[in-house]
Amino acid sequence: MKKDEPRWLEVLKVALPLCLSYVPIGLACGILLNVAGFNTVLTGLASILVFSGGAQFLIASMLTVNAPLHTILIMLFFLELRYALLGSSISQYLHNTSKKFLYFFAISLNDENYAVNYLKFATDKAWRPQDALMVEHYSLLFWTIANVVGSLIGNLLTVDLEIVDFALTSLFLYMIVMQVANRLTILVSFFAGILAIIFMGLLKSTMGLVVSTIIASLFGFAMEDYLVKHGHQRGVLLHKIKPKASRKVISKSGDN
Amino acid sequence: MAAKTTEHFVLIILSMLVAFGPRFIPLRIFSTRKIPVWFNEWMKYVPVSLFTALVVKDIFIDANHGYTFTGIGNLAKILAAIIVIAVAYRTRSMGLAVVLGLVAVTLLTFALAL
Repeated sequence: MKKDEPRWLEVLKVALPLCLSYVPIGLACGILLNVAGFNTVLTGLASILVFSGGAQFLIASMLTVNAPLHTILIMLFFLELRYALLGSSISQYLHNTSKKFLYFFAISLNDENYAVNYLKFATDKAWRPQDALMVEHYSLLFWTIANVVGSLIGNLLTVDLEIVDFALTSLFLYMIVMQVANRLTILVSFFAGILAIIFMGLLKSTMGLVVSTIIASLFGFAMEDYLVKHGHQRGVLLHKIKPKASRKVISKSGDN
Repeated sequence: MAAKTTEHFVLIILSMLVAFGPRFIPLRIFSTRKIPVWFNEWMKYVPVSLFTALVVKDIFIDANHGYTFTGIGNLAKILAAIIVIAVAYRTRSMGLAVVLGLVAVTLLTFALAL
């Protein structure tokens, strides 16, 4: 590591690829929130306070189908539940930090800055919690600006909601692909899809999404438990598909 | 309009709390304690289940008519979804997957309407 470069610049260089990838998604999210009826100030506020692409897209898309508040919040809770996993896996590197630091770290934690920070913590001995927090703040800055600009663009032109809404679907499809660690994940995914169709049809509401998520995730959990206990770790279902360097810890617990 | 803005403001604050809980509580607990294995094992399957359910809702469900199954009624979205999966698998780039997904669905919607 070079000594003559200021720290903020060094950290910025680490965070920049991530920050730039936020621009198109942030723009799409800002446009969608605008279509859903959020003004520019609220869009900026949501970007800072919620700071989750998936959550913001979800809020926008649920508002456009007039979903009730409690359904939106339950869906958000399940969507954000994955951060419990990310938070607990990165906590090992944050042992000697204050409660106040953890508070700030948690509020800006995100899938992508987690991936960058986890990789840096694992490979770079000089990487400190303060640097990790700086990465989070850089990504937050780019995300918020992109959202606000998107919101302003949304004011200028009329966009087809059905089409912009697909940004959310693309984002989720991307995240599904990144989650696939073995054939069991694919099976759980199909199962969740079928359950979603059945339960949304039965319940006539987005609560069907919550029910199908709980059942499908418990099914995956039970299946893996059964397969591991009966010595099928190397079987067809648990065969690893592609190792993911940045998500080491998530797949680690299932592979051994 | 003002009532709508207040409602949205309340939604943002509640969303922040809902988003903050799962991020902070485990971080706080597990910075001093060990993570229970069953919790980790279960959590592993939550994202993929939820994301699939949401994707299926957008592509195969008609929310305006009692959440009925539409089959291949949304052909443009089905084809675009396949493109997104291929792009995501090949490039592992989130930005590219989202942008190409939007381009694909726009072009396909237009082409299939001809």
